[in-house]
Amino acid sequence: MLNISDLLEQIKQNPYREIVVRTPHTGVVNFADIKQGQAVHGPEGQWKERSGTRLATLTRERNPKPIYAPEKGVVDKVYSEYENAFVENATPLVTIRHHLTREEVENIILREALHLFRAPERAKYYFTPEIDAKMKSSDPGSVVIRDGQELFIMSRMKRELPLYYSGPEGVIYAIYFKPSDNVDADAPLIGVCPQEELPNIKEVIMRVQTEWQEN
Amino acid sequence: MENPRTELSGHRVLVGNRGEIAIRIMQACLKLGVAFTAIYTPEDKESTHVSFAREHGGEHGLYMVSSYHDANELMAVADVSGCTAVHPGYGFFAEDFRFARRVVKRDRKMIFLGPSWKIIRELGDKINTKRLARSLGVPTVPGSDRPIYDEMEAENIAEDVFDFQLQQGIDHPLVLIKASAGGGGMGIEEVDDIDQFRSVYRRVRNYAARQFKDEGVLIEQRVTDFNHLEVQIIGDRSGKNQVHFGTRNCSIQSTGRQKRLEVAPGFDPSVNEYNFDANKVLDAITQYSLTMAREVGYDSVGTWEWIVTRQGAPFLMEVNTRIQVENGVSASIARVKGQAGVDLIAEQIRTGLGEPLGYTQQDIEFEGFALEYRLIAEAPENNFTPWVGTIDRFRWKEHPWLSVHTQVPKSPYNIPTEFDPNLALAIVWGKDLGELKERGLVFLKELELQGHNAAGEPMKNNIAFLMEKTPQILKF
Repeated sequence: MLNISDLLEQIKQNPYREIVVRTPHTGVVNFADIKQGQAVHGPEGQWKERSGTRLATLTRERNPKPIYAPEKGVVDKVYSEYENAFVENATPLVTIRHHLTREEVENIILREALHLFRAPERAKYYFTPEIDAKMKSSDPGSVVIRDGQELFIMSRMKRELPLYYSGPEGVIYAIYFKPSDNVDADAPLIGVCPQEELPNIKEVIMRVQTEWQEN
Repeated sequence: MENPRTELSGHRVLVGNRGEIAIRIMQACLKLGVAFTAIYTPEDKESTHVSFAREHGGEHGLYMVSSYHDANELMAVADVSGCTAVHPGYGFFAEDFRFARRVVKRDRKMIFLGPSWKIIRELGDKINTKRLARSLGVPTVPGSDRPIYDEMEAENIAEDVFDFQLQQGIDHPLVLIKASAGGGGMGIEEVDDIDQFRSVYRRVRNYAARQFKDEGVLIEQRVTDFNHLEVQIIGDRSGKNQVHFGTRNCSIQSTGRQKRLEVAPGFDPSVNEYNFDANKVLDAITQYSLTMAREVGYDSVGTWEWIVTRQGAPFLMEVNTRIQVENGVSASIARVKGQAGVDLIAEQIRTGLGEPLGYTQQDIEFEGFALEYRLIAEAPENNFTPWVGTIDRFRWKEHPWLSVHTQVPKSPYNIPTEFDPNLALAIVWGKDLGELKERGLVFLKELELQGHNAAGEPMKNNIAFLMEKTPQILKF
């Protein structure tokens, strides 16, 4: 049985994550008025429809792209040497010290509690059309899968192969990949919870919700 | 091919590609005295094309971008580095007429080192090509001549193509379903029973939507028992001087119909027996290809792809309006004004930047035979499944008759999974077919290619497959 108190204590020892905000492509950088030590916020609103604090603008081919803080936190470093310069893709712009949210802590603990089905190879993954349709039309955490079921299409080097689920029968409780992104070998694709253990998982979430203080 | 280079030296070429073709474009630029700017994505940081650009590109020689598929990235890098021309290589934007049009029509105009965008639009589309070919009396494969998006219509065409084959006396008619926006043998499946058609059609359509963002498919007769031939064409910017650089035979392919071994010229009737007059067929496809090239005013390098049946009937498949992977085999046997060392990529750049071709068909001769091995991390015994892992050792013995093009560095190299698993091209020359096969096998036997995957298992590659196929080259 998972020792939630221990896990929470461990996380509380260092409840931060360093986020390096990098350029998503090339372009000319102009920083917003931000300084080290300044608090910034991530996207807000019910649908995250309100952007986070604007950190910089990246202009490419006359298209200005605002770069927003992806999470709440405190600015640790601004790479102001790039002001008004043309930079390459993935150039660091700002480092943010982010205090873990309740949802993030839930995710960390759930990764310990769920059966993780992992990527066998670095590739892009898609649910098979049948599972994809089920996921879209069902309530979250209600699609049941079983050992040996064809679950994914694994796509790498322009070739596609079927990937079969192996593990306990249960519901897909968490999805850790985006169809357009590459997933590294051994990174989790989904978290599966046997149906009889669903009450335990709900308890984990309750515990985190009551015991984790957000800043 | 000695030409004044003064006008070329003011140019800078954006190398809009990766891997071995990026290296060959950079080498051609160096040879011509033209500056270049290369690009790479984070997955390619260990590639030799990156270290080559660092070493030889000077200031503005190399930039990291987010994607080779993002035209804005290429344009932004071209502007900041002062590029005057864009070489797309093969794949990516090579046959994208919108990209070619953007390059030449934007505020800061550049030269697209490929055919004019109008020609790419006309010939780069398999369907337009088919229509043009039919209008010029050039034989094409029976089937649809536009992309089909409607399931009922697709099924009706498939029924017609099945019926047509039965009328021709073909006992086991087959229909191909091809992703219209696909290429390189990807997104093609065959059906031998009309009752299976719908399910296969849906699979290809869904694959096409995922991979090419276009659901259109082509329905064609599947011609079995054929050889895959190509005609190499080049024209200069006048649109009037088209010459050919001979034929290639690309019939040795993977089960997914991807080329693995190419040979030039396309047949050798001096040692092999064919059911037809091989020289006559080679002449016919060459002349048909030139006819089409002249009709459209073709103004760059391009390849006309043909299938030739066992009875010697040629059908045009498509035109590749780009430099092809296998251009080196044609160059290897070509002599221009008696000189060896032909470089079709350099010719493409030179003429693309405005120099006249400077020679006619009479100045081009061919000597000997050449083959190209595509060395790939894959398991031929398991349906040519790509192998993912790290290359620990990749060595070959140098010979005067051998050239190897590769992006694989000498140090251990993780093969990126984002791209095709091609590791290297080896081009071998021989004075006749016998010597060519012998040298090819010498190269493969001397080759060392080792690696391991995450589970510690040894690398899989296609060397044994290439060895097995070498004795069969140019046999029908």
